[in-house]
Amino acid sequence: MQFFGGSEISPSPPVPTASGNNAHMIYVFNRNGVCLLYREWNRPLHTLNAQQDHKLMFGLLFSLKSLTAKMDPTNLDKGNLGVPQLPGQGCSFHSFRTNTYKLSFMETPSGIKIILVTHPRTGDLRDSLKYIYNLYVEYVAKNPLYTPGTPIRCDLFDTTLDQYVRSIA
Amino acid sequence: MAAIYSLYIINKSGGLIFYKDYGSSGRMDTNDSLRVASLWHSMHAISQQLSPTTGCQGIELLEADTFDLHCFQSLTGTKFFVVSEPGTQHMDNLLKVIYELYTDYVLKNPFYEMEMPIRCDLFDINLTQAIQKDRVALLGR
Amino acid sequence: MIGVSKMKPYTNVLDRPLSKGKLEVSLSAFAFLFSELVQYNQTQVDNIAELERRLEDAGYAVGARVLELLCHRDKGNRRETRLLGILSFVHSTVWKVLFGKVADSLEKGTEHDDEYMISEKELLVNRFISIPKDMGTFNCGAFVAGIVRGVLDSAGFPAIVTAHFVPMDGQQRPRTTILIKFAEEVLQREARLG
Repeated sequence: MQFFGGSEISPSPPVPTASGNNAHMIYVFNRNGVCLLYREWNRPLHTLNAQQDHKLMFGLLFSLKSLTAKMDPTNLDKGNLGVPQLPGQGCSFHSFRTNTYKLSFMETPSGIKIILVTHPRTGDLRDSLKYIYNLYVEYVAKNPLYTPGTPIRCDLFDTTLDQYVRSIA
Repeated sequence: MAAIYSLYIINKSGGLIFYKDYGSSGRMDTNDSLRVASLWHSMHAISQQLSPTTGCQGIELLEADTFDLHCFQSLTGTKFFVVSEPGTQHMDNLLKVIYELYTDYVLKNPFYEMEMPIRCDLFDINLTQAIQKDRVALLGR
Repeated sequence: MIGVSKMKPYTNVLDRPLSKGKLEVSLSAFAFLFSELVQYNQTQVDNIAELERRLEDAGYAVGARVLELLCHRDKGNRRETRLLGILSFVHSTVWKVLFGKVADSLEKGTEHDDEYMISEKELLVNRFISIPKDMGTFNCGAFVAGIVRGVLDSAGFPAIVTAHFVPMDGQQRPRTTILIKFAEEVLQREARLG
């Protein structure tokens, strides 16, 4: 039997930028700030409980987005600071780096935010995030048993994601 | 084309003490720059809380779609950050140079009050020179 | 040195004179100390003229001591007695000891006979100092003016010494001129000496 589209995920995964296990954690938020997914691979330090941690992360991303939208030096009309931006509207950011970690960020047109925290010297992960989004579309969005806006519980997604993240970072 | 769009210096409690624009479109007014500065101050602090490992000192580089933001924090908590074109190199060095100018021409000035806005002619003059020099170096590269 | 001919060998390390060592002082250390001096004096005064006077007084004490030291060390316990002699002593010897270089220029005033000017493109004490706009023509060089007055006064050349910013063509920063106005008795004595 031949299905239209096939089960193969269309774009092939980007070439790994690093080897070894230096990915720290991944967050997936929807546009309302609900944490759909949180996984950690290597996180020795927990300063807050899980719920507060997710809230803080979402708040950070929200504020950084309004900061970058306001700061955008190439745009004349930037609106007011702190006004909520629609996904894709205004100048956003794709990563930031501290001395202990690098956070890569992607927002999809539907407002899904994917955050990957890795070793500070990891290279550009924009393509990898796109690939993770692809996995989400394939295994979560297409899963009839998944109710949008609830935490993701799909084994297939989990295992593929785990494999992929281990391979890139 | 400007390699550097703007420079901010914020004191240890998040107050903007110096802001200079080097040609970004839609220059920010005083209120906005003050708010951006204090927002950055708290984002910097939150980023330390979210670190997966110990010893995090806050955001050093933020890569946005149309600009890069390089930040340097001195041991006393004063933060210096420049907004530059994406991919501009050697901003860390420039920030160190600016920090040095700050220690020389601001902190050694008897008429400067700590944590207050910087109004020192000598700092302005030397800063302009340093940024000019940086630009020339960039062009030569 | 006193009693050089009868030098006896020192037996104990504690009896030996201190070595001259490096004749350098950290510029930062000086800048911070001077900055504190200005800040402290600022808290003690309520107008700029008074601040200027206090800085000058602080310098005066330095000048008096510097003269003593240099006469002893460089001049073999002699001092200058003529006007031009003492001026060039200030311009070169004193400047060299205090600031590590000879002053940029020494000129005679064009309008008055009793006025002389020592100018410096960038006075060491002003290296890191930006004067706020609301302080007008105030110049921290008042401290150096005080030193000059201290030297001249102690050497028997009473004078009024003031520091001024003088704008220069094609330069962003004005230079500092130390204006020396000698007392009348000095000029009369100078005329008698011929």
